[in-house]
Amino acid sequence: MKGVLTYIHRDFIRWVRYRVGLVSALVLPAAWLLFVGLALPVQFTGNYLDFITPGILVMTILTTGISSGSLLMFDKILGFLNKFLAMPVPRESILISKILFITVRGILQTTIILTLAVLIGATLLHPVQYGLTYLILFLFGVFISAFSTTVALYLDDHDSFAAFSAMVTMPLFFTSSALMPYDVMPGWLSAIAHVNPLSYAIDAIREVGAGNVPVIPITLLAVFAAVIMVIAGQVFRKVTV
Amino acid sequence: MTAILTEDLTKQFGNLCAVDGLTLAADREIFGLLGPNGSGKTTTVLMLTTLLSQTRGSASICGYDTVREPDRVRSCISYVPQDMAVDTNLTGRENVLFFARLYGVPNPKDRVDELLAVMELTERADDLAKTYSGGMRRRLELAEALVHEPEVIFLDEPTLGLDVGARKIIWEHIHALNRKGMTIFVTTHYMDEADRFCDRVGIIDHGKIAALGKPSELKARLMKDVITVIVDGDYSPVQLDGAVFVGRSGEEILFTAENGREALPALADALNRAGNRVRSMSLREPSLDDVFLQSVGRQEEEHGFEEWKFRMMLRGRS
Repeated sequence: MKGVLTYIHRDFIRWVRYRVGLVSALVLPAAWLLFVGLALPVQFTGNYLDFITPGILVMTILTTGISSGSLLMFDKILGFLNKFLAMPVPRESILISKILFITVRGILQTTIILTLAVLIGATLLHPVQYGLTYLILFLFGVFISAFSTTVALYLDDHDSFAAFSAMVTMPLFFTSSALMPYDVMPGWLSAIAHVNPLSYAIDAIREVGAGNVPVIPITLLAVFAAVIMVIAGQVFRKVTV
Repeated sequence: MTAILTEDLTKQFGNLCAVDGLTLAADREIFGLLGPNGSGKTTTVLMLTTLLSQTRGSASICGYDTVREPDRVRSCISYVPQDMAVDTNLTGRENVLFFARLYGVPNPKDRVDELLAVMELTERADDLAKTYSGGMRRRLELAEALVHEPEVIFLDEPTLGLDVGARKIIWEHIHALNRKGMTIFVTTHYMDEADRFCDRVGIIDHGKIAALGKPSELKARLMKDVITVIVDGDYSPVQLDGAVFVGRSGEEILFTAENGREALPALADALNRAGNRVRSMSLREPSLDDVFLQSVGRQEEEHGFEEWKFRMMLRGRS
């Protein structure tokens, strides 16, 4: 555990010092919220801002989570990973630290979106509802970043990884229930959206916003996250021996 | 307890045998592993540092088996790969402190101060590492590698890309560590450095040890003098009793002779008779370069292909 915290500390300092990355991480979701939430000339639902906010939250976690693999990839190609692996620190702590750091980083970004959303007209929720929202985002974050680190372990260079993340992020977002409700989607899109893992998280957060406790989606997300973590651990052990 | 001990250590990547039956021992000395690219140096280091498991044979560090007791091995070694991996957006002090915390050393802050002083980095300790020169970054890596007082340090090409002054400083530090009783295992391309600073060297080629011993012994094993010949145009081989052909290095053709002064005119005659147009000839004492050339042979041909193949094999691993 001490190893995990030390690794997270390092990644955190590097993130904060890398100012462009920090600013971009904060500006990008805000821009999405403002442009899509306020400027888009569509009106699917009553308060579109309330509708779109869960989508933007999950998208933010998605883009951040995907970069978890990138973080590991750089450690791998720059020679840090070999140094770390030659140390008596439990090796899994490298993997866990990346997943946790990225998830927590994503949570920080979503906090900005939640604040901004309320400022520009979204409904203010009960603290318990925010708690549940964070829980869903955390589970989804672990799920995505574990997935992306697993892929990064298999790929050799950063270019392939960048290609992979570009290929995954946008299609996943646009085929999810982020932008519009299922009933206004074309049939084919609705079919894809129903099995898209992003929709699970988005729908669950909307449920929370509507005043329900979505037990089944949360359980499912937890199971997904756990399964991918186990797979990531296996792959990590396999490629590092 | 011998610090580094390997027995028939072998690593096979598909059809390519990267390391082939390596048996060696090193203890409280500076041991240099020399060899052309793709000869198996890095693969050997990866196996000794528990980053790669062998196909056959065994290796032990400070008495611990690298496969059965990897964590014990990791506690008594440090590994500095050739990539110069320092966090450039962290200060020198933060870089070392990070390692001290990972190793869980007591009083990490004091230990870091001490090591920065040893590596002569105290004045620049709070500057970001991106402002450091190559030599300083290497010293920073050495400081990181020393936080837990390892018994064995593995340095992969420690002076690669550094200027002459910085190289000398790095070697002085390596030497000082060795005097304190540390075993140091280096791989290098630079024969002159290995000759000057290593207690013993092993020359590895195609995964096999081609020569092993003290630089002075290896040089003595060659004959006394080295004759270097440069010819204009193609070289036609000659046979001569007093001089033995060693190999070619660039445009130089090398011979060794028991008595260089006597062999020189005879060799010149023989070369002329065989139709060579001799441009220059010179006589000198053998260097480790000559030993390398003799044990490894000519390097130009096939080499690029081999390296490519080797890299592909390495990729297949990860």
